Amino acid sequence: MVLTKPRNLKNLSNFLGLLLLIAISQSSCRTAKDKERITVASAGKISSIDPAQANTFQELQLLSALGDTLYKVNSDGIIQPELAAGMPQFSDNGLTISIPLRRDVYFHDGTKFDAEAMAFTLERFKEIGTLSYLLGDRIKSIETPEQYIIKIKLSRRSASIISLLSSINLTPVSPIYYKKYTNKFLNNRFIGTGPYKLSYFNNQQQRIVPFSRYWGRQPKNKGIDLINLSNSTALYGAMRSGEVDILLSNSINETQRLSLHKLSLKGIINEGIGSPNEIGFITLKSNSNPFHKNKIRKAIMYSLDRETIVSRVSFGLREPFKSLIPPHLRIHKNSYWPKYSPSKAKQLLLEEGYCNGKILTIPITFRSNVPTDKLLALTWQSQINRDLSDCIEIQPNGVESTTVYKQLSKGSFNAVILDWRGSYQDAEAYISPFASCTKTKGLYCTEGESVMSGSFWTKAGLQEELNKSDQILSKLRLRKLEDIEKYIADGASYLPVWLVKPRAWSQLQFSKPKFDVSGHLLLEELTKLD
Amino acid sequence: MNRTKDLYKYFLTRLAIAPLMLWLISSLVFLLLRVAPGDPIDAILGTRASEIARSALRARLGLDQSLLNQYFNFLKGLLKGDLGQAIISQEPVREIIAKSLPASIELGLISLIIAILIGFFVGILGIIRGGGKTDLISRVYGISTYALPPFWAAMVIQLIFAVLLGWLPVGGRFPPSLIAPEGSGFLLIDSIKDGNWPAFKGSIRHLILPASTLGILLSGIFSRALKINLEMILDSEYIEAARSRGIKESQIILNHAARNTLLPILTIAGITIASLIGGALLIEVTFSWPGIALRLQEAINQRDYNVVQGIIVVISSLVVLISILVDLIIAIIDPRVKY
Repeated sequence: MVLTKPRNLKNLSNFLGLLLLIAISQSSCRTAKDKERITVASAGKISSIDPAQANTFQELQLLSALGDTLYKVNSDGIIQPELAAGMPQFSDNGLTISIPLRRDVYFHDGTKFDAEAMAFTLERFKEIGTLSYLLGDRIKSIETPEQYIIKIKLSRRSASIISLLSSINLTPVSPIYYKKYTNKFLNNRFIGTGPYKLSYFNNQQQRIVPFSRYWGRQPKNKGIDLINLSNSTALYGAMRSGEVDILLSNSINETQRLSLHKLSLKGIINEGIGSPNEIGFITLKSNSNPFHKNKIRKAIMYSLDRETIVSRVSFGLREPFKSLIPPHLRIHKNSYWPKYSPSKAKQLLLEEGYCNGKILTIPITFRSNVPTDKLLALTWQSQINRDLSDCIEIQPNGVESTTVYKQLSKGSFNAVILDWRGSYQDAEAYISPFASCTKTKGLYCTEGESVMSGSFWTKAGLQEELNKSDQILSKLRLRKLEDIEKYIADGASYLPVWLVKPRAWSQLQFSKPKFDVSGHLLLEELTKLD
Repeated sequence: MNRTKDLYKYFLTRLAIAPLMLWLISSLVFLLLRVAPGDPIDAILGTRASEIARSALRARLGLDQSLLNQYFNFLKGLLKGDLGQAIISQEPVREIIAKSLPASIELGLISLIIAILIGFFVGILGIIRGGGKTDLISRVYGISTYALPPFWAAMVIQLIFAVLLGWLPVGGRFPPSLIAPEGSGFLLIDSIKDGNWPAFKGSIRHLILPASTLGILLSGIFSRALKINLEMILDSEYIEAARSRGIKESQIILNHAARNTLLPILTIAGITIASLIGGALLIEVTFSWPGIALRLQEAINQRDYNVVQGIIVVISSLVVLISILVDLIIAIIDPRVKY
């Protein structure tokens, strides 16, 4: 049946054509951006900016611009006063710390920062903070003998408490503003002391403006618009199209990260790189067959070709790493984990009766929603096929991350790929989560962080060593922690693989992004170039 | 009179079954969430928290109660219209839904309009140029848009129009340089109401790509359904009779055939609206559209039981209501329908 085109249809096509024309005319002219402000994009949404609740990278990044801490760690790992007026004074028995506070600090609501405000913040965090276990049983009580002196009484000597006070989760909040929120979270507002104050908040978009009464140096820009996009391609696209001025790399995938890195090498965009603070590692469960034998774990340790894996997975943008403590928090630069050696791995496996027809099968679990984990598992599988196919077989198995975390302490995984970023900048925050064990049964840990991490590994006297290290109020503490790291390496239950440096990119008309030692982008340093 | 009475009875029966359906759905969701591995404590504290901290938080969130207690509390709240508080953010679930549902409805409605416009245009064009190249193109269009994986299509469209050409924003719902107007949560309506034209333009610009992608992907169903039904109707005796009376072909299509074709289209539109309220997850994820589907996905990842339950109950209620409404409209306008 062939029909002639009716007039009404002609009208319809005209209408659609007109609609298309309007759409194109609308879209071809970009909205002029506010020249004074800088747009920064990162992945994921922000659920809470209450320091007692915030725990994702994006949330802590925003808080780091809105708040200050008593102390901060510089790029050499040295603690410096920020809201504190000087270094802390420990009492003779080491159980009381006196911290003098700055007198020129105001909250964003105009009220003054003092010891009462700091005490309120610490008490509130102890009461409702989701990460309050970080303070654990260390703080016994908090006193304010003078308006600008705070005294923290400890239940045991703890040298790491000062580093802990540099955690952005302990940024002071205005006691007056938070009066109604002493025992509940205030997720969408924040009144702190930082260089910026929050002027608009929703989960996907936040606006911060310079705080005119800030005690320190004023930000170099007129304000920041932060946007949170839900996927890597959108972030990459927004940077390429010039829709955003600055892009934070925390969740962008490796090929896009590489592409942006290459663009920066060509001088098309700027790239800023921060101190590495995230460690990717493999945990081997030490309390059951086959990894209950140290020799087998050591064989696996020798079988890991970090150089190949890291170059294939991250195209060299991650660093092969053989330690659990990031370089800036170490004294010695040596590593206790051995170099890749398939011959030594084979020798150890032969001693345990493997190879020559008997293959050691390793089911390795990776978090299916973390693309680099999968790539690591698959690359390691291929590398083993290349080097030790007569001895080892790797069987990768993807499980969603929430399930992995839940099942970890139940000993569900023989080998699992994970990563770790210390909650504060101290070697202890990188050693304790791997080694701490409060209860043992025979050679294995049954209670403590070693169980939480899924390794169940411990060593006689290790917990005592950890406790002792926290009582040393000098640099010897770091040496002690590195000694503990040596035991961990010898235990061969954790295999560090790589180190991740935070990266951010800016369009050429903006300054190169800079990071603080915690890996937070220094928003106040961003500026538009003339 | 008898028909009206039957219709009324039919409507009331459907309406009476709805609460039962909703109870079944919500109970199933409640149970499945608890059976699934992982819990919100892990999402909040991570893996490193001590057992004491975990137990304390579990007690604070009421997750230490027996499953039965939790279930009865959930049902009790539901009957009062209280969906509870989000476990992670402690925000009332009702507020979370009120913030994200308008975004999905706005996207869904505009997509549906685009889908219907394109679908009708392509479908009718296929009929007019039946058997020719245009007809072939219309068939290929109908099948391919239906078969295209949404995430792939969305990414390609995003790459072309946002990244390469830079005509439109890559994602999000509103320009970061502006402050979104407050009100109903429907940004187009709110910005018109405030007379805030930059906000209106910004919202439109952000809406074009996700709505067009979704609209194009859905238009295939409409064009195919329209064409098949229209072909069938154009071959029927009453159309032949109209032709023999010398009525113009365009009038036959628009005045005689199209009305009858609308019935199956209405059913499809009903189902589509229902599914769009649930959210076009892949479109929302790709374009970072802060709708209900994106929120649901986040809540599932965080094992935020209360948010997942709340969103599913609200979506299910809307889907049930829309289905009843569509059935009712069809029953009213089509005398052949029996009930």
